[in-house]
Amino acid sequence: MLNRKDHHALRVRLPGADAELIAKRLSELAPHTPLWVEPAGPSTDPLSARRRARETTRPVPPAAGVRAVLIEYSDGPADLVLVAHRAAVGRSALRRLAAALLGETEAEPIVPAVPSVSVVPAADTGSDVRLPVVAPGWGMGDPRAGDEVREHRLALPAGTAADPASWLAAIAVVLARYSPEESQESVTVGLFDAERPGPLRAATANVAAGTLGDLATRIAQDLVMAPASAPAPSVGLVVDVSEEDSEDLGADVESTPFLEPPFPLTIVLSRMAGGVSLRAVHRLADVGPQMAAQFLRHLAHAHRYVAVTPDLPAVRAGLYDAAELRRIRELGLPPRALDTRPRRIEKVFAERAAETPDAVALSDDDLQVTYRELDEWSDQLAHGLRGAGVRDGDFVGVCLDRSAELIAILLAILKAGAVYVPMDPAYPVDRLAYTTEDSGIGVLVTRLAEFPAPDGVQAVTPDRISELGAPHERTGPPASAARPADPAYVIYTSGSTGRPKGVLVAHANVISLLDATRDGFGLGSADVWTFFHSIAFDFSVWEVWGSLLTGGQLVVVPYWVSRSPEQFRALLRDRKVTVLNQTPSAFLQLVAADRGCHDQLAVRLVIFGGEALETPALLPWLDRYPESRCRLVNMYGITETTVHVTEQTLDRGMALCGSRSVGRPLPGWNVYVMDAAGRPAPPGVIGEIYVGGAGVALGYLGKPGLTAQRFPADPVTGERLYRSGDRGRLRPDGMLEHLGRMDNQVKLRGFRIELDEIRLVLVESPGVTAAAVMLRQEDPDDPATARLDAYVVLSDGASTADLRQHLARVLPDYMLPSTVTALPVIPLTANGKADLKALPAPVADPPTPAETVESTGDEIADGLLEVWQEIFGFPVRVTDDFFALGGNSLFAVRMAAAMRERGMPALHPRTLYLNPTVGQLTIALR
Amino acid sequence: MRLAAKTAIITGAARGIGRACAVAFAREGADLVLIDAARDLPGVPYPLGTASQLAHTADLCREQGSAVLVRHADVRDLAGLEDVTQEAYQRFGRIDALVNNAGIAAPSGKAAHDVTEDEWELMIDIDLSGTWRMIKAVGKLMTAQRSGSIVNVASTAGLVGYRYFAGYVAAKHGVVGLTKAVALDYGPSKVRVNALCPGSVRDDHDAEGRMLSEIARSLDVPVADHEETFRQAQPMNALIEVDDIAAAAVWLASDESRQVTGSVLTVDGGFTAR
Repeated sequence: MLNRKDHHALRVRLPGADAELIAKRLSELAPHTPLWVEPAGPSTDPLSARRRARETTRPVPPAAGVRAVLIEYSDGPADLVLVAHRAAVGRSALRRLAAALLGETEAEPIVPAVPSVSVVPAADTGSDVRLPVVAPGWGMGDPRAGDEVREHRLALPAGTAADPASWLAAIAVVLARYSPEESQESVTVGLFDAERPGPLRAATANVAAGTLGDLATRIAQDLVMAPASAPAPSVGLVVDVSEEDSEDLGADVESTPFLEPPFPLTIVLSRMAGGVSLRAVHRLADVGPQMAAQFLRHLAHAHRYVAVTPDLPAVRAGLYDAAELRRIRELGLPPRALDTRPRRIEKVFAERAAETPDAVALSDDDLQVTYRELDEWSDQLAHGLRGAGVRDGDFVGVCLDRSAELIAILLAILKAGAVYVPMDPAYPVDRLAYTTEDSGIGVLVTRLAEFPAPDGVQAVTPDRISELGAPHERTGPPASAARPADPAYVIYTSGSTGRPKGVLVAHANVISLLDATRDGFGLGSADVWTFFHSIAFDFSVWEVWGSLLTGGQLVVVPYWVSRSPEQFRALLRDRKVTVLNQTPSAFLQLVAADRGCHDQLAVRLVIFGGEALETPALLPWLDRYPESRCRLVNMYGITETTVHVTEQTLDRGMALCGSRSVGRPLPGWNVYVMDAAGRPAPPGVIGEIYVGGAGVALGYLGKPGLTAQRFPADPVTGERLYRSGDRGRLRPDGMLEHLGRMDNQVKLRGFRIELDEIRLVLVESPGVTAAAVMLRQEDPDDPATARLDAYVVLSDGASTADLRQHLARVLPDYMLPSTVTALPVIPLTANGKADLKALPAPVADPPTPAETVESTGDEIADGLLEVWQEIFGFPVRVTDDFFALGGNSLFAVRMAAAMRERGMPALHPRTLYLNPTVGQLTIALR
Repeated sequence: MRLAAKTAIITGAARGIGRACAVAFAREGADLVLIDAARDLPGVPYPLGTASQLAHTADLCREQGSAVLVRHADVRDLAGLEDVTQEAYQRFGRIDALVNNAGIAAPSGKAAHDVTEDEWELMIDIDLSGTWRMIKAVGKLMTAQRSGSIVNVASTAGLVGYRYFAGYVAAKHGVVGLTKAVALDYGPSKVRVNALCPGSVRDDHDAEGRMLSEIARSLDVPVADHEETFRQAQPMNALIEVDDIAAAAVWLASDESRQVTGSVLTVDGGFTAR
């Protein structure tokens, strides 16, 4: 295989050509080099374009030195194509050869005479070794594209500087922004010398410090030969000066400084008589066409900063002009506008009640409540709340089990012009006390006799409220001046740090959410919903009001049923539930319960929310409920943005490829992905998700500082945004990918590890139905004791041993879990999310140490036993499992070193992972 | 395009199956090296492909957008084949496929003991040894490249006997055997070798093939009778077209058949299924 990076080409368009004359000159300049004359169709024919492209990408066997092809088009013109190995004929030599062949200059023999050699030059096979190409994470390339190469061009304004250093600095600046999770202190850029063969050159620069001018200077100084074994830098520069004096060859000259781009994204800077032009050349497998074109635009913009403001700190160089900023904003807009007007929840409910008064609004066990009954019931309770002293704008606590009564109380609070503060009776007492105190409620509705109500808080039962309202039976709701912009509820969220914060959400937000989804999901009076989630979890806002504001029937799911997948499935079947809302963790348990059943559910729409969805886990469900029968929608959302933000309908194809897309924003919502400095990230690049639009909450109750910090202004419109803390990227096609929490990234022995990524691999593994991963460190002072613990739910017949084998094949060494523990079920939090705190210790507890060192009589086995004893500090047996003993990759490195000292065979971590006992390892190493 | 950016050598490219393969390869994006003896050979009792026919094949390929290298070479001349291969390598930088198609059908039409030694040797030299010589010329390059596909055009005569065609049948059985053996030689180098066994192929007007007519003439039966006999003998009740063979050759040369080697693909309307 000829290494096409080492070859270059030149094509010159001629109005007509004398093939004989060119061949004669060629035979004088380069004996043994024939002129290949190719008749072709019209020069404008697409087939002719293909011919040209083929000739300028075809390498030359070393023995040939140079290849000369004359394509003669049927409509008159011709193309002279010269291709050479850079070692045989350099860039300018090739130009001079072209000029000489065309009679532009005096002929001078510049190509060494090439001896006739055998068909297969021995030296040729040596260049088979290709530099490893590592596609950049932001590239969004298509692995199925094979070797197809694309090119994008950008004309630069006249007078643009063409010195390589300034462009390398600009590349470093852009690359740093494209790889925000890599170290900004060591950004590597490449330089490919178009004039001479040889390894690539590379410079590693600190973009985080210093000015743009310093950056250019340092890069120019630091350029060194890149080691041949290292992957090429993801982006590199090629300066092509061969077009500089193109007038002596005519205007139509195409210069190809390489036949295959040397970098995943290769930036070619061409200096021509008329100015400077920029090209991005890339294999589609490494970098997608939109990303390459975008990188080029950003590069050109960043370069202006380098050229014009060299004293600016490098981190402050901009990538976007106004049009680009607008383009990025538009990418995060929903596909259509929201048609809504601000209204209050209870008013919209009253309309539904007037439309279908006798339809069932609520089912709770044997109790059925019609819309009219619920309306009148909540009117009376609202009067009761007034009687208890509740006024417009007051905060009223609710701490009741899921029940019809709870729904009536919520409606009553809204009708009384007040704001509900839901609390889950299953929550710990101090959490309830904290919420009560923090929210400043005056009245609390609960049946918990032991509720920790502080002084000044009046705890009343629903019965008491009902009594207080009894005189007002069937008199309509109490008078209220509350408005749609007022808050409807306060839901407490526990962030990763600090105490729970109360999120204030306005009525209009909830109405917008319904107006944004009603038509798309076909929500209406034929639907039956479940009230499955804790009232203190905002998924319940969607369930309760989604059902009651669209005329549906809401089925109350008692706590013990929500905890039993089998009983919950029975409820779904018996009540003919059509709209199901689930966290992925809870849904996976339901899928498992459903799998063995003969009858089918009536569910037509499943909406996922609350945590990241591993789409491959949906396959068993799809086998039983095809997309045509039941629509699966993944919705990304946050309490601070009113339950949902985006929607993505899922199909089998997406499940098979493990899609992380959460789709596009709902009408009325919009998203940004921003970098750590709060600047919009380039599309396709990972950053933090920000949400704007109709769902943005009013803020945190009583925390103006935190509110200001988490709800910054939109850099384009000035409107309020919410900064989510979620990691994601906005793909160039406008789809948002949700990639876990910003703080779910852990560092283990220097490697940055995304726990969600390991979890996804686990869930995609054969035999695994659910999984969780966590990082543990036994001894806080010894980083060597840090390890990854994996927990899995296995299907019948699957084993952790098989899973380990599989993981060793698909995960890099540093991401391999040290322990893999099978559980019957992954524990869930009260909100139905995976509960990492409730995971047990890994099963692979260190076994009791062996009493004495065994001797096996086998040289390797005895050596291993000695080494293990040395690194673990206690005697081990032939059958002891390395990982069960507490081994991890750091111990493995120590072990490999100790084995090397003893002159034992080399140990690859993978071998150890697959053969974790001394006995197995002895066989594997032999 | 299924053969985009590939280079293929086709022997016996002047007409018939060779021309059909060349045009089909060109249509799929391949660049071509077209080889034919392009002259009559002493001992072969019928006119062989001509220089004009070979040039016409090249024109048809160029119309499809292919770069074409045309060379006259006799598959009995190893040095000549090696020269063409080297030239092809200089021109195109790689050789991805070889369609070993050159061959003769006659002298035939007599019982084994009536065949002369010269007739026997001529048949084996061209149909069997010629196939091997081309492999010898190209195989070294392909194995060094660690990729390539060789398609040996054999015949149903490589699988079953035909009366009065001992030399042809023996040579084509030899080609099938050669295919399997070389497939084993080259497997580790990722070079594939397969045999393609056409049944009775109609003499196509555009491809200018004349194999069926020459076989009929060897047997001294009218061409129409011979065609009818074979049409009935092939369960699909039709003669094979050159394009049917070309389509199979394209597949064998393409990456679609990347796990197919040492195989024998019959395109015979079911003739050998009996």
